[in-house]
Amino acid sequence: MYRGREGQWAWLLHRLSGLAILAYLMLHIVSIGSMIFGEEVYMSIHEIYDLALFRLGLIAVVGGVLYHSLNGLRVILLDMTGRGIVYQRQLFYATLVLTLAGMAFTAYKVIPRVLGGY
Amino acid sequence: MIRAKTYNDAKQQSHTNAELNWWIFMRISGVVLTFLILGHIWMTYVQVSEKDATFDAVVFKLQQPAWKLYDWLILSLSLLHGANGARYSIEDYVRSRPNRFWVKSIFYTLIAALFVFGTVGLFSI
Repeated sequence: MYRGREGQWAWLLHRLSGLAILAYLMLHIVSIGSMIFGEEVYMSIHEIYDLALFRLGLIAVVGGVLYHSLNGLRVILLDMTGRGIVYQRQLFYATLVLTLAGMAFTAYKVIPRVLGGY
Repeated sequence: MIRAKTYNDAKQQSHTNAELNWWIFMRISGVVLTFLILGHIWMTYVQVSEKDATFDAVVFKLQQPAWKLYDWLILSLSLLHGANGARYSIEDYVRSRPNRFWVKSIFYTLIAALFVFGTVGLFSI
């Protein structure tokens, strides 16, 4: 890391969230795709990711996807428009705020379900 | 990978058209995936409980052609987008040429296997 400012953090978070989402995607394809081996295999895997820890972990996955999507749109704005460069710092903070807001809303919807066991 | 701020920079930095085409692909697939995946998360995780993703529910949903198409688009676009993104990281951090060759070979094989597995799963029911 050199002494970069917002742009560098945006880049680092983009790379980390991208790799994390890819890891999740690969597991997700295996866990959902396991249905071709029949109900027993599918449900035995379903019971594992149905544990509270993994269900709450998905809130972090949602955060990663939201950040990667919004920052990706920010990168496109930087590439394609001059105004995107002028406002890149503000756009980075907007990305962070929207990501945290989305995660908070997801947590608000999901946590009662996990606690209630439904 | 291309580190460019504008389309013209990217064009000048690319030695072959392949890198430029990936640069464009990442942007187009990125916009499409934003809608497909945020929609997918909204419909299958935020709106409804993950507990409901039982075997019967998944089979019932994926029997419908529209969902087959939707999920197959996510599968193919996100695997390509993710594989290319991870390639940028591999090329940045795996410095020795033989290591890079092996890491890439194994990684691409894994991605291809997942693509075949997911496609077979989607279209076999």
